[in-house]
Amino acid sequence: MIFRVQHVTDIRYAALVRLARFNVRLKPAAWSGQRLFECRLIVTPPSGPIATEEGPYVVNVSRLLLAEPISALRIESRFSVDVTPPPHPRADICPSLARIRQAAWTSRDISKFGPTPYLFNSRIVEIDAAIGDWARPFLADGDSVLEAGRALMHAIYTQFRYDSDATKTETPPGEAFRKRRGVCQDFAHIMIVALRTHGIPAAYVSGYLRTMPPPGKERLIGCDAMHAWVNIWCGEQLGWIGFDPTNDLIVQGDHIFIAMGRDYADVAPVDGVFHGNEGQSLRVSVDVLPVVAEVAAGSFGQAGGRSRNTSPAR
Amino acid sequence: MIGWAENPALASRGPVGGTGRPDDALRDYAPGPLGGDLYCDARPNVAAKWSLVAERLLRLSQGAHGNIQEQVSREIQELGLTFRLIGDEDERAWPLSPMPLLIGTEEWNDVAQGLIQRVDLLERILGDVYGPQKLVAEGNLPAAIVAGSTHFAPKMMGLTPPGGHYIHVYAADLVRGPDGEWRVLADRTRLATGIGYALENRLAMSRSTGALLSEINTRRHAGFYGDLRRGIAADCQRDDPRIALLTPGHFNQSYPEQAHLARYLGLPLVEGRDLTVSDDRLFVRTIAGPKRIDAIWSWIDTQHIDPMAFDSRSHIGIPDVFQAWSRGGLAVANWPGAGVIEARAFSAFIPRLATKLLGASLKLPNVATWWCGQENEASIVRRRFDELVISSAFGGHVEGLPGGRTRVGAQFSAEEKERLLAAMHLRPIDYCGQEIVNLSTTPVLIDEGFVPRPFTLRAFVARDGDGNWQVMPGGFARLSSSGDLRTSLMGSGDLSADVCVVDDVPIQQESLLGAGVTPAIRRSGGILSSQAADNLYWFSRYAERAEMTVRVIRSLLGSPIDADGGAGRDPATISRLVEILVQWGAIEAENADLSLARVCSVALGKGKLPGGVAMLVTRLRDIGRGLRDRMSTDFWRVANQPVPGFDPDHTESLLSASNHLLERLSTLSGLTAENMVRSPSWRFSDIGRRLERALNICRIARQFATNDSQVDDLSALLDLCDSQIVYRTRYLTGPMRAPVLDLVVLDPHNPRSLIFQLVQIEHHLALLPPLVEDGVPERPLRETKAILAELQSLEAADVTTKVLQNAETRLLALSDALSLRYFLQFDKPDRSSQGSLLG
Repeated sequence: MIFRVQHVTDIRYAALVRLARFNVRLKPAAWSGQRLFECRLIVTPPSGPIATEEGPYVVNVSRLLLAEPISALRIESRFSVDVTPPPHPRADICPSLARIRQAAWTSRDISKFGPTPYLFNSRIVEIDAAIGDWARPFLADGDSVLEAGRALMHAIYTQFRYDSDATKTETPPGEAFRKRRGVCQDFAHIMIVALRTHGIPAAYVSGYLRTMPPPGKERLIGCDAMHAWVNIWCGEQLGWIGFDPTNDLIVQGDHIFIAMGRDYADVAPVDGVFHGNEGQSLRVSVDVLPVVAEVAAGSFGQAGGRSRNTSPAR
Repeated sequence: MIGWAENPALASRGPVGGTGRPDDALRDYAPGPLGGDLYCDARPNVAAKWSLVAERLLRLSQGAHGNIQEQVSREIQELGLTFRLIGDEDERAWPLSPMPLLIGTEEWNDVAQGLIQRVDLLERILGDVYGPQKLVAEGNLPAAIVAGSTHFAPKMMGLTPPGGHYIHVYAADLVRGPDGEWRVLADRTRLATGIGYALENRLAMSRSTGALLSEINTRRHAGFYGDLRRGIAADCQRDDPRIALLTPGHFNQSYPEQAHLARYLGLPLVEGRDLTVSDDRLFVRTIAGPKRIDAIWSWIDTQHIDPMAFDSRSHIGIPDVFQAWSRGGLAVANWPGAGVIEARAFSAFIPRLATKLLGASLKLPNVATWWCGQENEASIVRRRFDELVISSAFGGHVEGLPGGRTRVGAQFSAEEKERLLAAMHLRPIDYCGQEIVNLSTTPVLIDEGFVPRPFTLRAFVARDGDGNWQVMPGGFARLSSSGDLRTSLMGSGDLSADVCVVDDVPIQQESLLGAGVTPAIRRSGGILSSQAADNLYWFSRYAERAEMTVRVIRSLLGSPIDADGGAGRDPATISRLVEILVQWGAIEAENADLSLARVCSVALGKGKLPGGVAMLVTRLRDIGRGLRDRMSTDFWRVANQPVPGFDPDHTESLLSASNHLLERLSTLSGLTAENMVRSPSWRFSDIGRRLERALNICRIARQFATNDSQVDDLSALLDLCDSQIVYRTRYLTGPMRAPVLDLVVLDPHNPRSLIFQLVQIEHHLALLPPLVEDGVPERPLRETKAILAELQSLEAADVTTKVLQNAETRLLALSDALSLRYFLQFDKPDRSSQGSLLG
């Protein structure tokens, strides 16, 4: 199915900021089952020419440099993408956790698509014995990685509460874990900590969900902003499989992949440095519409836009 | 290797050591029976040198100058040598043991050959890890070892450093085993911590032992540092490159070391905020505009060096410096990411990689290491658990090893061992086992005798101008107090010692610049970064402010000339003096009614008020710390002292503390005036002093020279401006308003007058390097001329309160104009901060 995505980020600063440099990670990285076309990044006030290059993980990084002082910044990302739902993962060729571990540790693939970069501590995700102990019942050595991933995902979905006031962007996974609350980012991080603590490669994926559900289905949680889920490495043959603990489902045709990294920090949609006061507010709106539905719904951009206002930035 | 201190066998010393000669200072020296000993194992020609040094040190101890340990400590203090332990607020004196380690050239040459072979190997491994990655693809190096290394920088893949040189400076921690065999305990390719201390140890030793080191033919270090510098220069695009030493800042543990190195090698010491990247090139912001930097010797971790390329939370890095080194011709020593091979797990593969890449075995073997990410190795570690050291494979905290601290297997309780093995089952990739080596000992002079202490040696290797490796002859040794020498630098209670490589024949003299090469003559040196200019300016302003505040206090306590001074003065004058202290934030308004002694002790002492003398002196020391690379040792010694102690109830004691402080502050200005080269640095230092003094004159003249001023008021004004004597020689009458104002405001020949300060500032500004060579005076100079012209047009009777007020306002504007033009306009840590936006 073809989706059209529009993601607008409005940042306002308490005072003028100078020499702002940003990394924007909104252009979808190449990923199997996705075909990208018509991709644009519009920045106001205009930055110079925007160079986009591949980052050290599965991510496209666009560079903005705003030489003149600014008090507000609008980053608008628009693209269309054709998503082919991945085939249902075959349980019969799915290795056990014990096999996955061994394969990962002895892997000869150090590329960003291989398992090893996603085995160790990263800026946000740290091996955590408490989370590891909690996850132990779901991660028995003999279980197939698919079963184990489902069980762990389901445990997070049932034992944790979606609560956007409970955590902030910088809340460490351990704290969200103790509160048993959080948003997609926290759930993804907790699941990654659990898996890595058990020696299983797990990665953080940023992306989008379709805004309006297909007829007869419920709206998914997290569709009004960027979404996050977990990729588990399921061996050379199956590769990476997506698990969405916020919605308790294996990633299928409703998820649009943007980037994959070790944790949120590798794929943060916008970060950077500037000189000036740190006070800022942020407003984000995301629309993800199937192109066929767009015709029915009328003009693009008005159908399902949701905004939220958070300060500081989320 | 850890076992020494815990080894009960060592409590009883065997009768092993000594040469048996009755006059030998090492006659009674008795090392432990387990490890080797550097002295006892020495060949006769080297052993004789040990005896000579031991004897001489003992004799020095018995001389008139206190024992040798005290003499060395004094040298350390003179050199300003300090360090910090993590968590330290203040710097500590560097603990140097007077007895050096002596190693004969024969033994040392083998070590040096081994180091060169090893660093060559490390270069090749780095070239592969960041290049074709064949070692991983072909199964010679597990991908997990590379990916797990904390200092692996995947963003550096595919980039080749200038000249293909990933490493410019390499340090290795070496241990000497029981049979005298040397082994590598750790490789350091990220930061060569200790390389400056090795230099300083040598300086302190030479200064406290005279010609002793030359007598035993100690090989010199100077050539090594010169080679290091030429090696970095050789990788730069320009012929006469500007190389800077990049420091994380003066709160860093090894900042004093970095400042020493920068000063010794003549490299500008810069922080991230001094630097800026423009058009893919790196520039330092200087008072003469941005100047290109060709190379940096970086003391910042790769993760923090560029918030745009690596960790966006870094506040010490340089945004986009990655662009400069990846395509703008910036050489970096060592190349970012070179730290990847530091991981302990890596060393398990070094012997295998030597065979693979060099076709030879290691001349200098590793301490044997097993990485548990492989099934065989993990089972060896489990089986031999009690006889190994268990450590975190990549450093940092892992389950069962709190804080990532290495531990001897035998020390685990049954329960701890079980927990560790369970954790190892889940993530064996995080663990290593290493063999235990019994460390050789070396004689250490403690009290009046020599006792054995286990040691490790940090050796240093650098590339020279031709790209060849040069090994520093010697290095620095750490002598353990606790038995654990695996920490990065010094632990609490550890000692350091100089390591002397001794030849049989006398050594040729070398200088830093290398034998026989006369450099081009220069009279101006280097650059003045905006940050340093800012620091110099504020250092002098605080010094002057402190001086004037102390003068006010002293004037309250007793006038130096006037018999009726001090408490005998007109109460109105006294309250005006107290009012100044209130206005300047030295005391709180509600304390103004306290007794004079109390007022003075609050202003001098512990008060937290920003204008209090103690606070000013603290700020002075803080700023001074950031100027260490530019200060002479004498200067820093004077600057780095707290307010002298005093009895708050005794006027005499307060007066003496004030006098003491005034003397010290005068010493600082004297050293500045007499010892500083007339460079822009000196000019900024002097501008700061002059501008602060000018402001203070305006303020006190307004306070004391009003229309209803009494004799005591004017006398206090003369006091504060140190102009009593001049006044008395010029005028027979007592102080009167017009002549006093003429002397302290308008007289261009009085170095304490307002106009004198402005004339000096004008002079300095005219001689500072311009941004553009168009001959048009810049704004600070124009403003100075305007203030000056107006004052010069006046006569004494015209100097009204309004005139003084106006001058003060314009001086403050001048200070802003100066900082806008010459200093960093953002990044003032107390004004605005560099924000980071996540999300």
